[in-house]
Amino acid sequence: MKTRIPVAVAFLSGFLMIVAFFGSGEWLSMLTNEALRYMTIVAGFSLLLGVVSITQVSWGVVRKRGEDWPYKIILLIALAAMTGFGVLQGITGGTVFEWLFDKIQKPMMATMFSVLAFYIASAAYRAFRARTVEASILLVTAIIVMIGRVPMGQYIYEDLPSVANWIMMFPNVAVQRGIIIGAALGAASMSLRIILGIERTYMGRG
Amino acid sequence: MANQGNKGFFTRLQNVDRRVLFVLIFASVIVPLFFPLKLPVPVTPETREFFEAVEAIPDSSIVMLPFDFWPSTLAETEPMAVVGLRHLFRKNCYVVGLSNVGMGGPSIADRLLDSIGGEFGKTYGIDYVNLGYKANYQAVMLGMGERIEDIFPTDHRGTPLSEIPLMRRVPNYDSVSFIFVVSDNVAVDYWVGLVNSRFGVPMGAGVTAVMAPKSLSFVQANQLVGLMGGMKGCAEYENLLGYPARATRGMDSQSIIHLLIVLFIVMGNVGYFAAKRKAKVEG
Amino acid sequence: MFALLDISISVINLIVPAFIRTDRLNALVLLVVFSAIVIYFIRRATRGDKLYIRPLAGLQAVEEAVGRATEMGKPVLFIPGTGDIDEIQTIAGLSILGLVSHVTARYDTPLRVPVLYPMPMAAAQEVVRESYIDEGKADRVTPEMVQYIAGESFSYSARVGGMMRREKPAANIFMGSFRAESLLIAEVGQSTGAIQISGTAEPEQLPFFIAACDYTLIGEELYAASAYLSKEPKMMGSLKGQDLFKVLLLAVLVLGVLAVTFNIYPDFVTELFTAN
Repeated sequence: MKTRIPVAVAFLSGFLMIVAFFGSGEWLSMLTNEALRYMTIVAGFSLLLGVVSITQVSWGVVRKRGEDWPYKIILLIALAAMTGFGVLQGITGGTVFEWLFDKIQKPMMATMFSVLAFYIASAAYRAFRARTVEASILLVTAIIVMIGRVPMGQYIYEDLPSVANWIMMFPNVAVQRGIIIGAALGAASMSLRIILGIERTYMGRG
Repeated sequence: MANQGNKGFFTRLQNVDRRVLFVLIFASVIVPLFFPLKLPVPVTPETREFFEAVEAIPDSSIVMLPFDFWPSTLAETEPMAVVGLRHLFRKNCYVVGLSNVGMGGPSIADRLLDSIGGEFGKTYGIDYVNLGYKANYQAVMLGMGERIEDIFPTDHRGTPLSEIPLMRRVPNYDSVSFIFVVSDNVAVDYWVGLVNSRFGVPMGAGVTAVMAPKSLSFVQANQLVGLMGGMKGCAEYENLLGYPARATRGMDSQSIIHLLIVLFIVMGNVGYFAAKRKAKVEG
Repeated sequence: MFALLDISISVINLIVPAFIRTDRLNALVLLVVFSAIVIYFIRRATRGDKLYIRPLAGLQAVEEAVGRATEMGKPVLFIPGTGDIDEIQTIAGLSILGLVSHVTARYDTPLRVPVLYPMPMAAAQEVVRESYIDEGKADRVTPEMVQYIAGESFSYSARVGGMMRREKPAANIFMGSFRAESLLIAEVGQSTGAIQISGTAEPEQLPFFIAACDYTLIGEELYAASAYLSKEPKMMGSLKGQDLFKVLLLAVLVLGVLAVTFNIYPDFVTELFTAN
């Protein structure tokens, strides 16, 4: 029973979406819009689950004075402040919520994104070793593209940008398409397994 | 002894502490900002095609500009939105802004539309508008093909669309001549897959450098008229427009960083092969 | 006779478009053929036919990684992607989590599952709980195992990076849809010396994972993982069907390219493959 109901729900929802994609008619679009609306409602409520989880875990650490407990207090204060100001004042222009978002959250997000530049450099240095023929091809290609795509590339060798563009436009696009087509088929096959109830491992049942 | 010393040196070449690399990267970003090399920026075909397509839009057309990027990628995406707005306002196009990113998207759109609109003496509601954000971007993109007012009954400031002069002229995509997408996420795939293929609206996109390799397939399939890939693509567009700005200033840093990475890769490989050869010689 | 045929065609022309989107008939035909092939192979597999599936090093390494964590008494960190539940890659990630959590439950290996969105969190909690119940270890499930972190990917990667630094998991498994945070997470994991296995169908993130992880499942291999790990005949059958369909699709693709290149009904062929 515990698996049968979710499997039935998955089958009906999947079937409805397939019918909606291929079928036409007012009632059908009404039905799918309704289904999508239900999904939005469920997603909204699930946010509460997230808040409960983060509060439960953080409060547990604070109570037991676990590792890094002072940071959990900051987390709980930030959670309460953002929720409080958001509910009381709204989240549009000129509110405290927006000020906190613009002045604290945004710079922190941008900082984390900028860390990527450092990590890309260290990962490239470590990973690009000409250990095999394939790795050597990858290495040479990477160097051509890296230098050919920046202004300095033209100074090193006049035609380098054209070679880099060719690599990006043809071999790169061909590989991307191959991966995308394969992945799309894999996704379709997985969807079919879910709709037919063959794939149940995502519910914890093998 | 000397051999052992060499071996140690070659091993060290392969395992330079990542913090050393981080410091050098940091310096490579900062130094060129103070001492610019002012290298000319070669233009890639996909950026040129994008620029020329926008240039070919009749003056005073209506263009949609989705600000589909998170605040985290502002360094890369904001200059793209800025150069796009400058190009469109210079052609006296009317700009309909919106965002499919809830957190920060609409406020970024507001700030950029007001500041660049101000540079060209444009008025909110008449020359440009910010529709704001609505959840579920696939439904938003499809819905706007029928009637924009159904999806956005009001703009980001809460004014009903029927009271905004510009929006009275834009019931759906039929009145939109071009879509100038700036995106750091999968939304660009949906603009292409849903809006370009179903409604036939021509579009170009500015995307982060990481997304560019995948997005090039849309250019090759003529689903996008052109592409601005990362800061380099944006610098190219700025130069084509004759407004070298933030992205162009970043090009010197990017050149040096790329060279630095290549240097480290070469160093690592020299160390790898030398250590391997030594091991072979020593049996 | 012909009049009757004409009337029938007219009736079909009148009725069919009212119920079926004729502009999507090509996709419908593909769906029917694809489903038929997959179902055929599933039936063959359930009848007991032996189906060969190419070994995937990344998946063979999953058990080894969990074993290593058990020996070292350190946790296994599993991330079922950073997409929401409406992405099929997230479901694939959760499926693999189901199999991994069975193993961690069996050997009492600590498990950490930080999740970006609340819906996958609820699903992951259920998956882990069911696995532990199956292994008779329901009492070992704690709220810390599956945690909601943040709804924003860079806040999430900062927290997960901290987790990796502090708890030093012996194995990090990343399976699902990832965005720019892929390298932020994988590079920190690499610096802690953990064995790292990743899988994603996002082409942009694959180079990062390949550079920072020991094993990477590429594209469709992610979707094949749960079938491969569970060794369930029905799931193996669907994999085989998918492979055959891919071969057919490639053949059609080559024929289509040839037809358009040599100008043999190019408009018809293009129309045949136009997505609406």
